[in-house]
Amino acid sequence: MKKIVKTLLIAFLVIMAAVIFKNLYSSKIPIGNRGIKAAVDAGDLKVLLIGSSTFRSNVDMPMMDDAFDGKVFDISYGGNQCVAVDIQYDEIRKRSDNTYDLMLFELGPLMLTEEVMLSDSRIIWDMSWDGKKRLWSKMYESGNTDLPMMYEYFVTSGFDDLITYPVTEPIYATRYYKGAKTDETVSPGREYLENEEFDISDLEESDAQTAAVKELIDKCIKDGQDFIFIETPPYYRLYNDPVYQKYLSVFIDLLEERNVKYILASDVDFDNTDPENYEDMNHMSYKGRTLYTKELIKMLSK
Amino acid sequence: MSLISIPFLIFVIILLIIYYKIPKEHQWKVLLIFSLVFYMWVRPLYVVFILTSIISTWFLMKNPVKSHFILTIIINLGILIVFRYSIYFDIHDLIVPFGISFYTFMTLGYAHDCYDKKIEPSDNFFHYALFILYFPQITEGPIGTYQHMKDQLISYHGFELSNIKEGGYRIIKGLFKKLVIAGRLNYYVNTVFSTPNMYGGLTLIIAVFFYAIELYADFSGYMDIACGISKMLGINLAENFRRPYFSRNIQEYWRRWHISLNEWFKNHLMLPAVTSKWNKKISKVMYKIFPKAKKGNIRTVFPLILVWIVTGIWHGAEVVYIGWGVYFAIIMLFSVCTASYIKKLREKLHWNDDNTFIKIFQTLRTFLIVCIGEVMFRAESMKDALFIYKTIFTKTRISIQTILAALTPFGNGNQAVASVIIVILLIAGLFIIELLQEKGSALFTGHRYVYGCILLIITALFGVMGQSGFMYQAF
Repeated sequence: MKKIVKTLLIAFLVIMAAVIFKNLYSSKIPIGNRGIKAAVDAGDLKVLLIGSSTFRSNVDMPMMDDAFDGKVFDISYGGNQCVAVDIQYDEIRKRSDNTYDLMLFELGPLMLTEEVMLSDSRIIWDMSWDGKKRLWSKMYESGNTDLPMMYEYFVTSGFDDLITYPVTEPIYATRYYKGAKTDETVSPGREYLENEEFDISDLEESDAQTAAVKELIDKCIKDGQDFIFIETPPYYRLYNDPVYQKYLSVFIDLLEERNVKYILASDVDFDNTDPENYEDMNHMSYKGRTLYTKELIKMLSK
Repeated sequence: MSLISIPFLIFVIILLIIYYKIPKEHQWKVLLIFSLVFYMWVRPLYVVFILTSIISTWFLMKNPVKSHFILTIIINLGILIVFRYSIYFDIHDLIVPFGISFYTFMTLGYAHDCYDKKIEPSDNFFHYALFILYFPQITEGPIGTYQHMKDQLISYHGFELSNIKEGGYRIIKGLFKKLVIAGRLNYYVNTVFSTPNMYGGLTLIIAVFFYAIELYADFSGYMDIACGISKMLGINLAENFRRPYFSRNIQEYWRRWHISLNEWFKNHLMLPAVTSKWNKKISKVMYKIFPKAKKGNIRTVFPLILVWIVTGIWHGAEVVYIGWGVYFAIIMLFSVCTASYIKKLREKLHWNDDNTFIKIFQTLRTFLIVCIGEVMFRAESMKDALFIYKTIFTKTRISIQTILAALTPFGNGNQAVASVIIVILLIAGLFIIELLQEKGSALFTGHRYVYGCILLIITALFGVMGQSGFMYQAF
């Protein structure tokens, strides 16, 4: 019996040690070219981008780099949700005294309809313990938690990356530049984009996501942080969808109520009907990304 | 109630406490009550059908004459057919009672053995009811036999720490297979098989291999958990798997995969069919057509085809399952009919079966044959299965692009590489463990605490939680 108890105790202690390390210290592991720690280590910046994978795919970082003297970084991941953007802003603020001339936040209308969830385990790796707890409490308030989810969030999520870090980090490093992807993706073609099915008719606004936008704006104003919300143009089929337009209006109302600056897809000279510019409905191809970024830089320079 | 859930854990703990505390004459009654509670947990109505089966079979087989035996078959197969195959008759509202395929075969096996006078009919209704309802085996088997189970179920089992240790070890091993191996492969397999037309040949090949491993890890993982729980109660369930992917030919594979089902088919369908009058008549005609063929081979042709078609239908009446059964019938027949020629060829070429390379070749060949069949078993339609075969055999290319494309079903690019590495390491780990067991290595039997501890840690840190269902529950 003693041996059974001893075995269980050893297993428990090893598991606890691994879990504590992951949750408390993974954010301190050096990762050269992406993530919050890398952004913090980059020091004072002219432009910091925070959004979702759409933002990351649609803004070309080498071009931004040239335009802003190499003082740019992108921490756009953490799922297609405003709550993650808000939490990432807090992380940046709490973990450094760096100054940022301008922050660009993603104006993703459909981000307002996302459930608060763990949609990218990368965020578990990157966030401090306080950030993790905050995201979890947001998920809990939204009713998106249960025991298996709690287990995934605090125990298993991000563990693969942690264990394989010495092997995978050099591989991932080749795919990122200042937090953004460097993949030179190509369009799958008109036929694919014209026939790709999507159904957003059932989407409903999430109170938690709307609240996160308001909270983020209030914090930026309080901190004296200059910031702009950017809508990157989706493929015209998604852009013209009435549901997309409905939430675009909701987002714009939120920003206008607080006199926040924003740049819409329609403000930029970019052809969102050209399939060569897109990889899918949301994400641009390399060609689209460079064309769009060129126009975006012009707008930002104004 | 799933075997991987908090309520089930509490259920087992309460059962173990009561089981070992109460007077010995009441021990089996506690098992019966708990088995009934387990069965009624999700949908109490289910119990009506299983009780109908138990009551009718027990009463009819008290006097095991031919008419009673036939009536037992009609009642049990009738319930099974109505529920399992109702979907094909547009009766969509019927909910299949869980474990129906497994307990119906146990019931029919019991009735057949009584009729053949291989066993004495049970003289105690509740003993028989416990045999059918015994909770560790009701959901996915093994398809226990009355001879093997009756004494174990009703006799007294005192508390033995060795049973708890051995049972606990089996449970941890089962959880590792289910939550870590099957759980991790499940996402990839489901993604690819749900839209096979989105993927190239290499991705499809990987998905097929992964499915074969997932199915084994899921099903044998369940068996380990069921056997472990039963062991803690002092009851040994029949083993259902003996490292089947180390088989060197397809007959051996089927002697090591889902053993209880194959034993059932052998005893209750194959042997009666081989010795039946109709088979003798057909064999005579066949022998006239193929006078050079061996008599033994001729007599097994039709029973083999019958058994494999029924095995396919047991899994479901879809074309894919029937196709799967026919595929294995053809492979088995080919193997039986060519055995003497292959033997002569081996002698001519001086092949030594003990040669390591020959062993590896035979094992890989058998695994490939199984994987080809499993495409039909997993595909959502025969059209999908044919598409997968066509793509694999005509459009498989190996290049950097196709290798990268094969990673995409693992999830988004950020985690795919890490997932692949972990999955490869875990599968390799599983097969190394099994290989050592196959070779009779004492490494794991001698260091069970260390091994159990490592498995527990890996399961806790790499397991995919929240998956309570098992694949074979669908049957």
